[in-house]
Amino acid sequence: MNRSNIRNFCIIAHIDHGKSTLADRLIEKTGMIRGTAQEQMLDSMDLERERGITIKMAAIRLTYRANDGQDYELNLIDTPGHVDFTYEVSRALAACEGALLIVDASQGVEAQTIANASMAMNQNLEIVPVINKIDLPHADVDRAKEEIESSVVIPADDAVLTSAKSGLGIEDLLEAIVQKVPAPAGDVNKPLRALIYDSHFDPYQGAVAYVRVYDGSIKPGDKMMMMSTGNVFDVDSVGFFSPKLERSDILEAGEVGFVTAAMKTIGDAGVGDTITLRDNPAEAPLPGYREAKPMVFCGLYPTDGDQYEDLRDAIEKLKLNDAALTYTPETSAALGFGFRCGFLGLLHMDIARERLEREFGLDLILTAPSVDYVVHRTNGEVEHISNPSEMPSPTEIAHIEEPSISATIMCPTEYVGTVMTLCQERRGIYIKSEYPSQNRVMIYYTLPLAEVLLDFFDKLKSSTRGYASFDYDLGDLIRSDLVKVDIMLNGDIVDALSFIVNRQFSYPRARAMVDQLRKVVPRQQYEVRIQASIGAKIIAADTIKPYRKNVIAKCYGGDVTRKRKLLEKQKEGKKRMKQIGTVELPQEAFLSVLKVAE
Amino acid sequence: MNQTPTAVYIHTPFCPSKCGYCDFNSFAMEGEIIDATVAAMRTEILSSRWRGRPAKAIFFGGGTPTFLSSAQLCGLLECVMEVHPPIPGAEITSEANPGTVDWPKFRDMKAAGFNRLSLGAQSFLPEDLVRLGRVHGPSEIGRAVGEARKAGFDNLNLDLMFALPGQSEIAWRKNLRLALELNPEHLSLYCLTIEPNTRYYRLNLRGMLDLPDDEVQVAMYDDAVAAMTVAGFEQYEISNFARPHKECQHNLCYWRAEEYLAYGPGAVGCVEIEPGRRLRYTNMKHPRGYCEAIAASPTPVLLQKEVIGRTTEGIFDARGRSPDFGRDEGVASGPAPLHCETEWVDSVTLRTETIMLGLRTKEGVAASILPEIAISQLVAKGWLELHGERAILTPRGFHFHNEVCAELI
Repeated sequence: MNRSNIRNFCIIAHIDHGKSTLADRLIEKTGMIRGTAQEQMLDSMDLERERGITIKMAAIRLTYRANDGQDYELNLIDTPGHVDFTYEVSRALAACEGALLIVDASQGVEAQTIANASMAMNQNLEIVPVINKIDLPHADVDRAKEEIESSVVIPADDAVLTSAKSGLGIEDLLEAIVQKVPAPAGDVNKPLRALIYDSHFDPYQGAVAYVRVYDGSIKPGDKMMMMSTGNVFDVDSVGFFSPKLERSDILEAGEVGFVTAAMKTIGDAGVGDTITLRDNPAEAPLPGYREAKPMVFCGLYPTDGDQYEDLRDAIEKLKLNDAALTYTPETSAALGFGFRCGFLGLLHMDIARERLEREFGLDLILTAPSVDYVVHRTNGEVEHISNPSEMPSPTEIAHIEEPSISATIMCPTEYVGTVMTLCQERRGIYIKSEYPSQNRVMIYYTLPLAEVLLDFFDKLKSSTRGYASFDYDLGDLIRSDLVKVDIMLNGDIVDALSFIVNRQFSYPRARAMVDQLRKVVPRQQYEVRIQASIGAKIIAADTIKPYRKNVIAKCYGGDVTRKRKLLEKQKEGKKRMKQIGTVELPQEAFLSVLKVAE
Repeated sequence: MNQTPTAVYIHTPFCPSKCGYCDFNSFAMEGEIIDATVAAMRTEILSSRWRGRPAKAIFFGGGTPTFLSSAQLCGLLECVMEVHPPIPGAEITSEANPGTVDWPKFRDMKAAGFNRLSLGAQSFLPEDLVRLGRVHGPSEIGRAVGEARKAGFDNLNLDLMFALPGQSEIAWRKNLRLALELNPEHLSLYCLTIEPNTRYYRLNLRGMLDLPDDEVQVAMYDDAVAAMTVAGFEQYEISNFARPHKECQHNLCYWRAEEYLAYGPGAVGCVEIEPGRRLRYTNMKHPRGYCEAIAASPTPVLLQKEVIGRTTEGIFDARGRSPDFGRDEGVASGPAPLHCETEWVDSVTLRTETIMLGLRTKEGVAASILPEIAISQLVAKGWLELHGERAILTPRGFHFHNEVCAELI
């Protein structure tokens, strides 16, 4: 295909503004997939379809005959909308020349719309505003245009009006893509430079690199070379996404597609790396992009200690497909060998856990999520601590700093009071507010990251009846009065349950934690004392009475099968318990920390 | 043909009324369905593929066997004895509800061959009996025992329940005393268990059953064990107590994980088909479905499949709706087979069951089939003791029977 007839574009939007549905309509309209009733075609993970969200970006090649009579190759890269997955968005942008900015006609511009749009503009992408869901009863196209112009600061007069649900305006949208999104630059005669913007692991083909070719071309049989490592591989296959992997003869400058080359390890297809050819290498690699910085950390342990090696394997493979994930080995007195993993946010953490359990058949225990604290010791040493159990004793600490965020919250004006109260409660510092349109407000706050980790977004949504949207950037370190709360069972500290909290919240949090544990820890043979302490001081306590009996009164001929199955189930349940000192803890106990945010 | 004597169980599913705690296969029905079911049971027994195998114990349970007429009940026993000749001294028991018996019926039963009665007394306190939904009053228990003695029964059991809603420890001790005053040879003392699919279960979910706490239940049980010991009974199973040599031979077969044959609606049998491989089967539960299955094929075809189908609930619901109900839902046309559930018991499963059942009794299980480490841990806890080759639960261990089994299976 002639390069001037290629368009590489992505779709960016706030979560739930209809991105994946719009992508489905584009696919249908161009006839890539005929007669498929399945929705969310680009969301290939079961998890994505179940949750109705996009986690991984996906790509697809569409062929479209425009009104000018010419055929165009449209490479569409779908992107996730949740704030945790912003990093995926920024990588997708690197492969494109244009972006469709979707705004829900009934919701207007949201905090993330602005964040994603500014990211796209920083990459010099052409922004095509699209106002979607125009057939909803509450649609207000004029207001949406006004908000795009005032807060995203791009002209919105000729925004494309669509309804992905009914298929309205899809033809217009395809024309707009052809006319507005620039054809890719680059020179097919120059040495190969292809940026790896994503990858996944295939058990048969090894690492599959998703690439955007900037210069030159690549085809099967080529000796390709990674510019960061100098490693050379024989190219097995190249091709594009339909959205399944579809082999083709060659990938040329301007095109988006995949490359396989029997790459066996993670490092082989590093996301952000540049591929060139061994025999005619490029002089300099393409600029990569900012590494994603994990903000939430937790311990991941196999329930069954024997699965440690399997877990390591699984995380390595997941990492290949989830570049933002970080991990280092750690050990816990309570849980044995595991990993301290870093995530972009709680949703990312939850998704990663679920993918590890589903795709790799593991049974995992997660410890309390934590941020990365900077601890200044009295002896002058400074260290980063993201595992509460490694926190030094209070007497050795001069002071602690914690990460903060600059939050942008957008909501209808009537909720200003509610939002500000919530932020105040979470130790927020008010910065400023702006009014992009008559009845909408953008409020800026600095908040400790730890305070927004657990349920801030849920609380924000529920206290504004779903109208508020939220986006954030990582801010500076702030000095805070923090303490570590330990949880003891029958006098033994369970390191995996320790958590760090602002001193003013320590008592209520400890109480809530103890209450939660009392609910989820089953009665045992002996009395179980649950205590929460700061240093040597007990600040909350409770006991679980021992069970006194566990016996079935009757068992005759007709009962045998059912009672036997109950016993087998009980035995299976025991296997999933963790023995901590004299106490058996179920998996749920370790999730208690998540449930006691208040 | 295997000629080893075996236990034979006959299930009669009819009751004067359904009690709130009961999850047995029982139906409050009257009239010709009873006659039809008894006729079908006679056919099932007489066409048995195990005809000729001697009986070492016969047990009529229910339901309420004595809800049948003398002629029906004794006629069924006659069939059983024809097909499974009792070995000398075989125990032949019938359950009986004190509200459904009188001297002539006991006399007929004794004459027909029954030599043991198990009376569902449940409680001697009127308020308990009303709450349980029983049809008899306290005085009828004593009367029934008297008439059974008069008819010549010298082997009587009384069933009692404790941890009833609203029951105090004092009330329970009074019950025990009144039961012992009647001088039975055997007592079954059951802690009330709330089973799913009962009225009690639904009441309990709504917090409307005032059940005693675990601690009180344990105290009631310990009271019972103490009272029985003082009275000269031996506790030979978790809930069962007997005068010397008066243990229930039929139930011991279950607890020794032996084979048992079964006839009647909802009856469960377990029989060796080939060495090391037993079949456990459940008969069609609803009387109508049972009658139809027997009419179609009185000798059940032994299917090799793990489960034949869940046809009982689908075709006949508890109210006995149309026999055609559910026929279209993929159930094979024609009457459903007699066995509504089957299960192959292989050697691994049999080991689990042997442990689970054996540890209920004072005989325990052969220590050789148990993991050694678990034995020593349980012995250290004071839950298990070794007596020669046998591993036996201690009195304290009885409280934690499930826990111990989960460690050992």
